[in-house]
Amino acid sequence: MRKILAVIRREFVERVRQRWFWVMVLLGPLFFGAIFILPTLLTGKGGVRHIAVVDGTTSTFGARLTERLDRESLFVAVRVPSGAHTVDSLMVAVDRKQIDGFLILTDAAVDSGKATYRASNVSSFVTIGTLERVIGEMVNASRLEREGVNPSLVTRARIRVDLDSKKVSGGKATGESAAQSFSLAYFMGIILYMAILIYGINVMSSVLEEKTTKIVEVLVSSLRPFQLMLGKVIGVGAVSIFQFLIWGVSARFLISQRRHLLGEQGIGEASQVFQVPHVTGATAAVFIAYFLGGFLLYSSMFAAVGAMSSNEQEARQAQQPVTMLLVLSFISMFAMLNDPGSTLSVTLSLIPLSSPIAMPVRWAAGNLPFQEVALSLGILFLSIVGVTWIAARIYRVGILMTGKRPSLKELVRWVRAA
Amino acid sequence: MSEAVVAVDRITKRFAGHTAVDGLSLTVPRGVIYGLLGPNGAGKSTTIRMILNIYAPDSGTVRLFGEDGTGHEHSARIGYLPEERGLYPKMRVLDVLLFLAELKGVDRRAARPKALDWLARLGLSDWRVRKVNELSKGMQQKVQFISTVLHEPDLLVMDEAFSGLDPVNSQVLKDTVLELRARGKTILFSTHIMEQAEKVCDHVCIIARGRKLVDGTLADIKRTHGGRHVLINFDGARGDADRIFADRRQVAKADASGQFAELELAAQGDAQEILRALVTSGARLSRFELAEPSLNKIFIDLVGPEAATPEARPDVEVARA
Repeated sequence: MRKILAVIRREFVERVRQRWFWVMVLLGPLFFGAIFILPTLLTGKGGVRHIAVVDGTTSTFGARLTERLDRESLFVAVRVPSGAHTVDSLMVAVDRKQIDGFLILTDAAVDSGKATYRASNVSSFVTIGTLERVIGEMVNASRLEREGVNPSLVTRARIRVDLDSKKVSGGKATGESAAQSFSLAYFMGIILYMAILIYGINVMSSVLEEKTTKIVEVLVSSLRPFQLMLGKVIGVGAVSIFQFLIWGVSARFLISQRRHLLGEQGIGEASQVFQVPHVTGATAAVFIAYFLGGFLLYSSMFAAVGAMSSNEQEARQAQQPVTMLLVLSFISMFAMLNDPGSTLSVTLSLIPLSSPIAMPVRWAAGNLPFQEVALSLGILFLSIVGVTWIAARIYRVGILMTGKRPSLKELVRWVRAA
Repeated sequence: MSEAVVAVDRITKRFAGHTAVDGLSLTVPRGVIYGLLGPNGAGKSTTIRMILNIYAPDSGTVRLFGEDGTGHEHSARIGYLPEERGLYPKMRVLDVLLFLAELKGVDRRAARPKALDWLARLGLSDWRVRKVNELSKGMQQKVQFISTVLHEPDLLVMDEAFSGLDPVNSQVLKDTVLELRARGKTILFSTHIMEQAEKVCDHVCIIARGRKLVDGTLADIKRTHGGRHVLINFDGARGDADRIFADRRQVAKADASGQFAELELAAQGDAQEILRALVTSGARLSRFELAEPSLNKIFIDLVGPEAATPEARPDVEVARA
């Protein structure tokens, strides 16, 4: 036991002393900050679009629409009367980047809902979406008015519905909105994936370092390979928990300061999707439990990979199957977010390879029966025991082996023989 | 005193399609320097690893310090210097030493003054807070050597002890080994360089292709193997030398030419009888010397040229399952 402690201590102290660790500590919050800010920047702000509206209507519709578009923060709109060469000269203007694009309106817009937009860039969802929305609204209003409906009635009828959604947990509304649940689940998924991957690979390179420097032979003459592997996994795990503590505090701080960081403008639509998550004790416990489970499961596989390789290159290749498993679980997260209650989601949150990411995501996205979490954790625990048992056998033989990487058949023999 | 520090009984180890060690037995008495000798690939490292319980033998037993328990359970009493040397390159020298001492069950605080002591003794005091990879190779060897003796082991096991050492470190190692023996410690080391073994070993065991060829004290082996030789120089008169050399009860082989002769004594041969017979027959001698064959000659005679090239070793011991 004292020997395992010595290994844990060495792993922890040496890692925390490295510059790399503190770089990660600093980059971590920056990374999370970017996850918050980037979607806002990318979708909310593409700059202001300068557009011309070619008014070929016989009514006042063109003028009203232009004025309405100009009120949108996204657009600066100017009305241009339709003429023989208007379109051609506007084409040239777009080419010269004097304007971003132009909208061609005729009476058909109100009659059949058709209009044309020409621009240097038509791939912006936000631009097109806003145009469609505004034109749609105006067309609807015009048609209703044409049928003799009072314009003020139209305005009142158009009041938007604000769906106030709250997650129900234990028969009570939690005060946590759907948007908050979503963002929490999203973040937990990303953090779990990143942490398991980064620290799993840390375990692998640590094993590999001992092997390539040959010190492993001295080590295994003093303690059993299993003790060494266990100490290593726990030591690296302790580093990751330490890093989480630092990150957790920083993330909290960042979220509380979000308004200052983004400014009033950027908060708009993006903050509808990413709201400050409300992390309960139970959620934190689920997160930690599944992180530790996932880390133990994957890092013992990574340790075996490190042990069976004799250099960095080999290890990079050999780790791919393990990394793929992790990537698949990460991708499955999006299925969770879409429908946490689907059969696929339930299955993925029970399979031990994907449950470390899937279950916390489901937990955060929607309320779950306790039995399901317990069952999933139980399966995960049994798998850790099984996988560690196999990995330890590969590790034991592998760390003293040099020469070419073993084939799958040889690996099976190692597991049987060790 | 008769109690064996290492008692190996008929151990065998097979790797994929190749027997590395085949029914090997050997006994290392307390307080001696024991040389495990053999050509490359003879099974020396495998034997040592089985003694340390890094590998489990397929059959046979290893008993340490006359007690039950494996190499792992006794590891606090054993210092091990493997053939492939290595330390953590990015750790500080002192930290590496303390960590390795901890693995031997020594408390960090207790190990610290001892480590500093050793570093001072080998001239490395200024390097204690430097990283291992800032040290020269020779200095790293010293650090590794300190790590094997820091916990004051009763048994020091060194695989290819002197290989890769520069002359200075080689001398440091030899001095320390002799000093450890003087303090009653036991040293087991393997080498394929006979000159080194001849200088320091009390006991040797020569193995080839995983089997023991001979073991015992160096003096016994020299007496019983490789024969006894007599070198003779005549000073003029040869007396009845030719008849005496032809006596097969005394002389197994004679190589006489003029004033010089080299005899290999027969099994029952007695050099004193020959000397007396020569003098009685009227020969005048300027030299009559009983010569010991070198360990190297015995080794080559025993091992033979074909055993010096080991059986095709599956590349560097692949799959040590």
